[in-house]
Amino acid sequence: MPFTNQDYLPSYEELTVPELEITSAVFRSTAHHLGKYCDNVSKEFMLCRSEEGDPRKCINEGKEVTRCAFEFLGLVKKSCLAEFNQYMQCIDHSGGEMEFKNCRKTQATFDKCVKDNLDQDRPELGFFGKVRLHSSNRPKPTPSPHILPERAPDPPDFSRKTDPSKGPQNW
Amino acid sequence: MRTDQSPADFRNSPETAATTAAIEVKMVVYKQDLPPGGGFDPIEWAKRTPRKRMGGFTQFFAFVGFTTAAWVAFARNKAKRDREALELRDARIAIEPFILAERDRAFLKHIRKNRDEENELMKDVKGWETGTLWGEPVYHNVRDRFKRASLEEIITHMSPKDQDDFLWDKMKR
Repeated sequence: MPFTNQDYLPSYEELTVPELEITSAVFRSTAHHLGKYCDNVSKEFMLCRSEEGDPRKCINEGKEVTRCAFEFLGLVKKSCLAEFNQYMQCIDHSGGEMEFKNCRKTQATFDKCVKDNLDQDRPELGFFGKVRLHSSNRPKPTPSPHILPERAPDPPDFSRKTDPSKGPQNW
Repeated sequence: MRTDQSPADFRNSPETAATTAAIEVKMVVYKQDLPPGGGFDPIEWAKRTPRKRMGGFTQFFAFVGFTTAAWVAFARNKAKRDREALELRDARIAIEPFILAERDRAFLKHIRKNRDEENELMKDVKGWETGTLWGEPVYHNVRDRFKRASLEEIITHMSPKDQDDFLWDKMKR
């Protein structure tokens, strides 16, 4: 391992949170609503992750993302469990890629339930694909300075031409 | 009839009997091949052009019509497919943070486990420092960036089965 004992690595306690133990069909069927519900924390986490390029520095943002997903899935479970299950079953059996196109009816039922109970519309097509701005309170990271060695001395002046026919002149 | 034969002899002779039998057999009726009544039709020697179904303009505009319809159908189909693909891509983008957050935590846990394992394994070796090669750092890391461990370093302390699973999973991706 390249990590020495002086390098900071978060402890197990810091890293242990209840994880989302859900299958891909659940993720796929709630993806749009989940993404919209947790839009801000997701953007915060992804911005941190891309700016810092260091998973150690975005642990708290990541925990927030997972907590938000728990919150949303709990709300769905409380109010729309039957509709969600129906939709999820359909997605689960909808082809090799779990496409949405085969499940419009159950999707409409689920969307209506989410709209009624959580007051959230399905985001429009391309909502997550487009470039979105996010204002964050986290300061922009500055890389620690790269200390370079002393500059090498300049090369000698080669612009002065010598005449080989006069013999060596620099001696 | 020969002159030395009586009429009775002639009647009873074998040749006469054969001839009489031959006459009694029904004769084959031959019919001569003749032209049909009224004679043959006149020989067709002139060129016969097929009946014209569509003129050039009709054909051309039919072609244009079919092609335009096909283009329209293709464009509509493609737009539909693109919409569906965009929807799927949206879903994938939307759940990326949730998966990445969990993955980061798992990865950091694994790295920490590896470091603890190396401490435990090399505690009796004199002069060994964890994360370095006999005190020399593995990476030139002046700016204190996150060090990306190589594949071998990640899987070193796994069991052979876990190593196999990890590599197989990586290969599939």
